Amino acid sequence: MSARYDLAVIGAGPAGMEAALIASQAGVRTVVIDSAPQAGGQYYKPLPEGFTAARKTAAERDGERLLGRLDAAPLEKVFGALVWGIFKEESGDGWVIALSGAGVPGQISARCLVLATGAYDTPVAFPGWTLPGVISCGAALTLLKNQRIAPFRRVLVSGSGPLLLSAAAHLIDAGVKVVAVCEVNPIHLGAVGYAPVMLREMGRLREGAEYFGRLVRGKTPYRMGWSVIEACGADHVEEAVIAKVGTDGTPQLASKQTVIVDTVICGYGLTPFTSPAQSIGCKMEYHSEKGGWIPWRDQRMQSSISGVYIVGDCAGIGGAENARLEGQVAGTAVAVETGRLQPPEAENFYRHVTPKLAQQRSFGQLLADFFALPPNLISLARADTIVCRCEEITLLEVMKAVEAGARTVGEVKMITRTGMGNCQGRMCERSVAGAIVKALEPNAISAADVGRYTPRPPLHPLPLGSFLEAEPKPPKQTS
Amino acid sequence: MRINPSSALLPELQRGKPVSITVNGSPMDAYMGETIASVLLAAGIRTFRLSEKTGEPRGIFCGIGLCYECLVTVDGVHAVRACVTPVVNGMQIDTGKGLDL
Repeated sequence: MSARYDLAVIGAGPAGMEAALIASQAGVRTVVIDSAPQAGGQYYKPLPEGFTAARKTAAERDGERLLGRLDAAPLEKVFGALVWGIFKEESGDGWVIALSGAGVPGQISARCLVLATGAYDTPVAFPGWTLPGVISCGAALTLLKNQRIAPFRRVLVSGSGPLLLSAAAHLIDAGVKVVAVCEVNPIHLGAVGYAPVMLREMGRLREGAEYFGRLVRGKTPYRMGWSVIEACGADHVEEAVIAKVGTDGTPQLASKQTVIVDTVICGYGLTPFTSPAQSIGCKMEYHSEKGGWIPWRDQRMQSSISGVYIVGDCAGIGGAENARLEGQVAGTAVAVETGRLQPPEAENFYRHVTPKLAQQRSFGQLLADFFALPPNLISLARADTIVCRCEEITLLEVMKAVEAGARTVGEVKMITRTGMGNCQGRMCERSVAGAIVKALEPNAISAADVGRYTPRPPLHPLPLGSFLEAEPKPPKQTS
Repeated sequence: MRINPSSALLPELQRGKPVSITVNGSPMDAYMGETIASVLLAAGIRTFRLSEKTGEPRGIFCGIGLCYECLVTVDGVHAVRACVTPVVNGMQIDTGKGLDL
């Protein structure tokens, strides 16, 4: 386990599994690392060990096949391991990955990297969003699908995109009352141009239609152009306020209504989890239609750093099928780079996969066009709304920092401590960027101009002991 | 609460074997394969900790181990993520505490 690998894949979701499968089967010495106890990522997350299902859904069967192939592949798996840092090797041109977790090695070395770290629900700050009972779409779906836990009876679902329908449908199937689904986007009806793309994705459309059917049968209103604007309650959510939201993200208070709910489920699209890529210096670009900041890549999924490949949703939101194809391309490229595959064979494979990837990207673009978030949802927050949940920094404090001259997310962090807590800025980066953009209006400034936090190791909070275990070097000899 | 609806999207399933754990000193129903968050939520506990600065209640939020809002104390060790940590036999879980590092 301690020897150097040719390839370390970080993240065992759809993208990482495919990259590891292709590379290892070509003879690349491969290790796959994931923080979860099992492979699968969020999309193919298997039922926990100990649970058995009478029947499996189609996605669960797909995932099971992929996990079965991973089990049979000639590679090493290191699960239950949190990657807290990635460092350049002191000698050589590879990487040292620092890990934390029970029974996992403190570090793993590899010549090439495939980063497949996935994405998370885009956090949107609004009054009351820190109350217990406001949870993400991902949390709700994991509780229902993976744990069969329904800690709610009456729910408001608010946000944007197809995941809202999935969450609402699962809730209705679980016997939970969904009082409304608020889709913040007033959906554009310019779908005709997309007909060919849509027809090739009938499976996904059918899935969407089935979800929507449940809403109709459950008499759940689907309110386009609406959003939650406040969650209220003493110790947990007892009611929520919804309102129409303008295309600029400003709530129209005249339209507001109060709904009695015990839970608000929020999913405003997905944000790529890019801290590992960013921390080693991969060049990043801002593409709002792909979820915000994403790494620059060439056609073979290689980042701006040679030997570092980035695939799946962490490189731009595209869904599981897109992630799998990207993983296959990166795995093939690593096999060529490490001399395990001849370039002509790789070219054959790329020719085969390119049209499929193009179709996935067209479908991704369709979803992005349908569900483009209003440019600045920070307008949902009030002055006393907490923006940084970890350090408990309010919007007012962020605005004061901007008044004092802060022009970037990093400068706000230095003044206010936003982004310096346990989550390392993942939950507040977008809100802080939005607050700066809004404060500096009407100057021509966008989220791309105000930058982002600079992630540094440790990428996750760690007990101090982890550092001691990670560096078992003998003391230097002095003479 | 625990559900088992046997529907199209949520087929019937069998939970793991019961495991014996305590929450704030009292025994609590829990099954192998469940996360700490699931056990707490099934028991109606929604506040997992209090925020450090203002003591506000906080519970599960992102559900995938990234936001660190759901931290609880396990066997005296602070800052365990309830949403991604499975329960094991003998676990002693404490909620409603600040980080107190």
